[in-house]
Amino acid sequence: MSNLQKEVERLRGERNVVANKMKGKLEPSERQRLIEEGKNLKEGLATLEEDLLKLTDELQQEAQGIPNMTHPDVPIGGEDCSVIRKKVGSPPQFGFQIKDHLQLGKELDLFDFDAAAEVSGSKFYYLKNEAVMLEMGLINWTLSEVMKKGFIPLTTPEIVRSSVVEKCGFQPRGANTQVYSIEGSDQCLIGTAEIPVGGIHMDSILAESLLPLKYAAFSHCFRTEAGAAGAATRGLYRVHQFSKVEMFVLCRPEESDLYHEELIKIEEDLFSSLGLHYKTLDMASGDLGAPAYRKFDVEAWMPGLERFGEISSASNCTDYQSRRLGIRYRPSEPSSASPKKGKANLAPPRFVHTLNATACAVPRMIVCLLENYQQEDGSVTIPEPLRPFMGGLEIIAPKSR
Amino acid sequence: MGLQSCIGGTTLQTLKLASIPTLSSSRLVSRPVQLKALTLDFFLLSRHGRSRRSPFPLLARALSAPAIAFQTETPPEEKGNAVVKPQWKAAIDFKWIRENKEAVAVNIRNRNSNANLEAVIELYDKMSNLQKEVERLRGERNVVANKMKGKLEPSERQRLIEEGKNLKEGLATLEEDLLKLTDELQQEAQGIPNMTHPDVPIGGEDCSVIRKKVGSPPQFGFQIKDHLQLGKELDLFDFDAAAEVSGSKFYYLKNEAVMLEMGLINWTLSEVMKKGFIPLTTPEIVRSSVVEKCGFQPRGANTQVYSIEGSDQCLIGTAEIPVGGIHMDSILAESLLPLKYAAFSHCFRTEAGAAGAATRGLYRVHQFSKVEMFVLCRPEESDLYHEELIKIEEDLFSSLGLHYKTLDMASGDLGAPAYRKFDVEAWMPGLERFGEISSASNCTDYQSRRLGIRYRPSEPSSASPKKGKANLAPPRFVHTLNATACAVPRMIVCLLENYQQEDGSVTIPEPLRPFMGGLEIIAPKSR
Repeated sequence: MSNLQKEVERLRGERNVVANKMKGKLEPSERQRLIEEGKNLKEGLATLEEDLLKLTDELQQEAQGIPNMTHPDVPIGGEDCSVIRKKVGSPPQFGFQIKDHLQLGKELDLFDFDAAAEVSGSKFYYLKNEAVMLEMGLINWTLSEVMKKGFIPLTTPEIVRSSVVEKCGFQPRGANTQVYSIEGSDQCLIGTAEIPVGGIHMDSILAESLLPLKYAAFSHCFRTEAGAAGAATRGLYRVHQFSKVEMFVLCRPEESDLYHEELIKIEEDLFSSLGLHYKTLDMASGDLGAPAYRKFDVEAWMPGLERFGEISSASNCTDYQSRRLGIRYRPSEPSSASPKKGKANLAPPRFVHTLNATACAVPRMIVCLLENYQQEDGSVTIPEPLRPFMGGLEIIAPKSR
Repeated sequence: MGLQSCIGGTTLQTLKLASIPTLSSSRLVSRPVQLKALTLDFFLLSRHGRSRRSPFPLLARALSAPAIAFQTETPPEEKGNAVVKPQWKAAIDFKWIRENKEAVAVNIRNRNSNANLEAVIELYDKMSNLQKEVERLRGERNVVANKMKGKLEPSERQRLIEEGKNLKEGLATLEEDLLKLTDELQQEAQGIPNMTHPDVPIGGEDCSVIRKKVGSPPQFGFQIKDHLQLGKELDLFDFDAAAEVSGSKFYYLKNEAVMLEMGLINWTLSEVMKKGFIPLTTPEIVRSSVVEKCGFQPRGANTQVYSIEGSDQCLIGTAEIPVGGIHMDSILAESLLPLKYAAFSHCFRTEAGAAGAATRGLYRVHQFSKVEMFVLCRPEESDLYHEELIKIEEDLFSSLGLHYKTLDMASGDLGAPAYRKFDVEAWMPGLERFGEISSASNCTDYQSRRLGIRYRPSEPSSASPKKGKANLAPPRFVHTLNATACAVPRMIVCLLENYQQEDGSVTIPEPLRPFMGGLEIIAPKSR
């Protein structure tokens, strides 16, 4: 493509020479010869320009599949090579036969999967009674906590153009896609608020003074979960629709490692506040999504499942998404003593770095809270921080029938 | 039965095929796949029958031919019925319709409905007759079968075998016709709108009657702004970015507007829970059949419903739909009633066909949050609960200090499912008019007959010690009602426009403050 581009430029140069020559006074035969030459150049150029366009598209096609580079500290290998960065708490000791969240939910009349299967299909659910208060409490508390850390609260569209989904590094129309598409349109449902938030500053140049931009977006998320099957997908663990508060940061490249640490710290503080037992993993190279330069996952202990389950993920996507979404910033001059202001003095725009991190994925949190805080009498205690956001509710008790 | 499964197994492909023309023309022109199969079989069987000189083909043909001929008379444009063959059956009370023909006809006229009552009655009569015929033949076939059990002369046996075979073939033909008729009847009948409460004003939109008026327009001593301008200045929404990311009529809420949304939802849920409503969150993706059963048309022209590609699922336009579906095909114990749900969900609407200045900003959007009340009750109580629902809504809006009026909507403005509908319109100073912020409908048994929701009345004075099925009263259809407790964007419009101050800030009404971390005022941000 580079070679073809040089060729095209060369021909254009020649065409300009011919055009210039034609401006002067010429012999008729000379003019005729130039006209012929001009025509040939024009046709040749048209062909080459078409080829150039095709090549550019093919190049994009191939190149877009190249994954982001990887942070040097990331362990190389498959899933089992992920490294534990931090471990907090320990599995609660129960002096009685414990139940999983599905059984607790049934007995406390908190969900309905059966009716949802009839109305919508499997992996859908209704939340009822205190579970609704739990969802609202989790969202309100989480938003409140991250707002204290300077995050701008947002709600977002949940229907977006599929091009935006692609620019964030997802593949709406691939086989086994996670993305629901809307019939008769180029729109899709979002699987995470990362997508509409990433799109806010698409094709923009931000003033450096605006960075870092920190958003906390609350949205519903929709995922087809195509290809996911098995016992681990019972109940609330893997569902097609859920509520989530997502943190999204746009910053200068030099600062993305710093904000990645800040995001994981915020997540860990949230989960510690709720008294969860969890571990933070530095995900191995084979387990990173294409956009992620580095990814930290938090897995919390779920007694009913008798294992750790992922409750959040924090990725540093460096400039992978910003190059696709076209998000840049204009660095302000460090020591601009010169009084002359003009375009010549402006530094060229640079791509921002983007990061995203789950502050709260409601269903998985509900699994954690129900299973970890269950009591022998079948009730569930509400962790302290959530109570003010649930009208003071302290305990979900079995209902008398 | 093989044919039945054909009908029930409609795939998306066949739905797409039939989506443009009405059923009547589609039968003759672009027949959905399963109908092709039926017709083919029909011809095969009747030819077979004729070759054996069955006495019945003539009768069968006489019955079916007029049915088809009849359909060509119907107008080609969509009649307000479902454009595709229904995959489910509504338990419509045909006898009642027939017995109350006049009232039903008047009702259809008053509602400007395109339903074809004559067609329904004609089809019903045909179907009844055909049913009797089928039963008669079945009887004869049983007689023959019984005779064959005894000792017979060979010639006699042979004759009976012949007779039995003829009866069987004839029966098969008629049973097919019966199935087709049943489907056609469903098709036509599903389009008949609900009856109308006697107090409902007859006529178009302007005939709606004001039931109640509360408050008065606030007096401002300064030049007021509309919600869009307030939102821009207070950095509360972003419509421009959303237009790029998603399209027009989408938006991001930012900063205090997010707190306002959360505050409104939490406060509303809390208030209606005090009134005994069970809080719910619901799926927002549902099967399209459930949408239809609630009285909406997912695939009509200018549909309000978004469909999911490659599936029979749609996005909900209101939580009424998934909540209505919870007790689909069930018989509830009477002691459970009334069942009162308050469902929080996001709602998605295409708003196809809606255009103009009145659709700027948050007034008409594709996606919004809503808390919806839904009641299932005994028929005798639905009027009562309708009054209860509108009272709850009015109390909520009065608490927020809004100036509003409640309207008893006129017959021409009721949706097909609604027996009676109360709309609340609140004063929106920026728009300089009243705008609808909620709607409360009594759907009586329209939805429950389609969703199959019944209850078992408990015996009033069952002194008899004998317990058994004989003592149980037959199940009856419940009545369903739905009412908007809070449609967030319209509430935001009201609150911003009514509570704006001269300095550009907006005060938060008292009841919401505890649900917004104590926030009292949305102030302009220093830049």
